[in-house]
Amino acid sequence: MTTPIPGSPPPQPHGAGTVNAPSIAPARSSGGGASSLGTFGVKSGLAQMLKGGVIMDVVNVEQARIAEEAGACAVMALERVPADIRANGGVARMSDPAMIKDIVKAVTIPVMAKVRIGHFVEAQILQSIGVDYIDESEVLTPADEENHINKHNFKVPFVCGARDLGEALRRIAEGAAFIRTKGEAGTGNVVEAVRHSRTIMSEIRKVASMSEDEIYAYAREIRAPFHLLKETSRLKRLPVVNFAAGGIATPADAALMMQLGCDGVFVGSGIFKSGDAAKRARAIVQAVTHYNNPQILADVSANLGEAMVGLTM
Amino acid sequence: MAIQVTIGILALQGAFAEHQAAVHRLSLTIRPVAILVRTPEELAICDGLIIPGGESTTIALLARLSGLLDPLKEFVKIKPVWGTCAGAILLAQSVIGAKKGGQELLQAISISIARNGWGSQVESFEVPLSVEGMKDSETPFIGVFIRAPVVLELSSSPEDTPIQVLARLPAELLPPALSGLDDSDPKTIVALRQGRHLLTTFHPELTPDDRFHEYFVRHCVLSTI
Repeated sequence: MTTPIPGSPPPQPHGAGTVNAPSIAPARSSGGGASSLGTFGVKSGLAQMLKGGVIMDVVNVEQARIAEEAGACAVMALERVPADIRANGGVARMSDPAMIKDIVKAVTIPVMAKVRIGHFVEAQILQSIGVDYIDESEVLTPADEENHINKHNFKVPFVCGARDLGEALRRIAEGAAFIRTKGEAGTGNVVEAVRHSRTIMSEIRKVASMSEDEIYAYAREIRAPFHLLKETSRLKRLPVVNFAAGGIATPADAALMMQLGCDGVFVGSGIFKSGDAAKRARAIVQAVTHYNNPQILADVSANLGEAMVGLTM
Repeated sequence: MAIQVTIGILALQGAFAEHQAAVHRLSLTIRPVAILVRTPEELAICDGLIIPGGESTTIALLARLSGLLDPLKEFVKIKPVWGTCAGAILLAQSVIGAKKGGQELLQAISISIARNGWGSQVESFEVPLSVEGMKDSETPFIGVFIRAPVVLELSSSPEDTPIQVLARLPAELLPPALSGLDDSDPKTIVALRQGRHLLTTFHPELTPDDRFHEYFVRHCVLSTI
């Protein structure tokens, strides 16, 4: 009755970095009572719906429409892509709400927007205009060097960047319903995203093999809340959805991050700073779905024109 | 020889892993095997299919690019399919609020549906539902609604298989734009069945309660093979 059947289980990727983390972030339903808005269940639930998808940075309605047509599962509305923020310097802030509202009107997919780290008033503004997700982002200039936003106070869900497990769990403790690697935005260089993803996965594998008394000590070491670290140990993955971000420029980069165990990818400057943006966007979307299929990856990687000019670090 | 039942989970984008885990948790006498479907070959071995939540435009585009759109249209004509949220949109006959240029649909269930009928993510919510024909029906099922679609009308003609409403939302929980409706309005419908097809506008895969998965496998799949 359980004889293997063709196509099952799905082929496992072959690569040194392969992790077989269960891809299921836990259900978070509050499990009873009357109707409830903005519970952690529905906040983290939207992130579940984005899995296996690509979230693209867009700076205007035209780019948002291109992203939607190319199969983006969400767009990140911002005034300047990270590559331009790096080039221009100065203080980078939340984008003009009018521009974000135009993008919300132009597309049917979810729209995210960025606020500065710790700038809870920018977050209140974005929540009031109805964005679907807020990115409390290190790409903008921080507004508070000590404190992040208390994200439990909002109905709108938040995504935050992390470089290691301790940082990811601190953000979740503050109410983040979705984690991404920080990577190095605006460079077209995937090396930092790989470093952060590998660090997080390796720390998860480490804590998954620990006994409870060891987890207390490890929680102190990586400055992570004990209960979240214990849950991570039990789940053998982050307790929320985990995307790759920061430097992804090609379909191969996107598939690499998926094989490293990420649930999906953000592509920032990589698309609209390249030659044929629509074609590249569509190729990266396909690469994230078929990340384990090198033949499809070869097909979609062909004739994409010039990738964004990368920066070395 | 034991009967092998294969439930495909369309795994192009979205919350497919949760559905696979839920099907594997079921304890039925015939244990279904859930496989992830990304190619026409994988679809061909399935006895039933679940189309998960995700972004319906993304799933439809990836289906076309993967050569799955026509095989899916053929599949829904002969085999049972369950769509949750984005999957429900893909199963509908027509959709309001699609992206500019429209959206490809599988047109398996004769309803029209509105995309993201409740507004933005801020309007997502969870609510206990009473579901007709469900095991332990006195225990409510927690419906998690995330940018959920709204059923606009049942468009079945007399020669179609009749539509059976399985669950409704109380009218006072409808979005403000739809207020003032009575409880029997089609817009209150959140779960329905037409013949072998099942549709939910919410996400049973995000709760640990597997009764909808059991319902689909038992009443839509096993009863038809």
